[in-house]
Amino acid sequence: MHIMEGFLPPLWAAIWWIVSLPFIIYGFIQLKKTFEENKDALPLLGICGALIFILSALKLPSVTGSCSHPTGTGLSAIMFGPYITTIVGFIVLLFQSLFLAHGGLSTLGANTFAMAICGPFLGYYVYRALRNTRLNMYITVFIAVALADLFTYIITALELTLAVPAGELGPGGLFATFLGVFAITQIPLAILEGAVLALVFKYIVDIRPDIITRMRIFSEEKIQAARGV
Amino acid sequence: MRYQFEIIVGIIVILFAGAFLYTASTNPDAEFEGSDGIGSAIISELTGIAEDDVTPLIPQWAPPSGEIESGLFALQAAFGGVILGLGFGYLLGQRRLNQN
Repeated sequence: MHIMEGFLPPLWAAIWWIVSLPFIIYGFIQLKKTFEENKDALPLLGICGALIFILSALKLPSVTGSCSHPTGTGLSAIMFGPYITTIVGFIVLLFQSLFLAHGGLSTLGANTFAMAICGPFLGYYVYRALRNTRLNMYITVFIAVALADLFTYIITALELTLAVPAGELGPGGLFATFLGVFAITQIPLAILEGAVLALVFKYIVDIRPDIITRMRIFSEEKIQAARGV
Repeated sequence: MRYQFEIIVGIIVILFAGAFLYTASTNPDAEFEGSDGIGSAIISELTGIAEDDVTPLIPQWAPPSGEIESGLFALQAAFGGVILGLGFGYLLGQRRLNQN
């Protein structure tokens, strides 16, 4: 989902930076607060952040004959909310633009908006919507994570559609083309990521169910129902 | 069943790998290049500016070879792996302390 350096016109590069900046600033404030007030949660934050580092480094092949990478942001968004997730995603994208030429500093705003803001926010609200339904909580995590992953790529497609002259295709056709490149490729990856992160979540619940209830991620009844206790 | 969840995830992983093998064998043209690059190619086509001629707005260092690039990606994943292990290790240790 990286938009390469120089591939966004200056105006759009600036717009996405301006849109992303408030999220990054508020994210830092929230992260600082978590470090000070919720020390108990730091190992969990480490796990969630580490998954973003690992998964966003993995280029996986897909049915479209091209490769893409998962984002890993969904679980962090569920556990720590979208703003803190923005910071972790931003750090990963910064690393990749500085050392890997995957995305650039001018397009970092746009890439942050897609992977570290839109994905986590969508995942978070899907989780919030499903949290108190009768759905098994592992399936809730699976759906939220997979959709956060997929949505990131839909936003990337949208960002490119807005920035590039559509020509004969027209804006709709261009958006469909970019969706074909990014979103269709991403569907199998999103399913895989959802399944793997749901399993990681299960292991966290198995080890320390008390933290999950204390952080009010899921209710005690939900946890007991899902664990079959 | 004890490992029900693991089995389901395992099946999804196998299906994913199977989809890759199927695509690779039925579609010899598939090059499995990055979708980022394909997106860039479409933009180049539409704007009429060749990919190599796209000027960075902010100067950028690029890894000089694929080896160095993959090494840096491995480093990123390894860093994540270390933190992941630390986090789970900490949680397991905490549980043990609480039990005693």
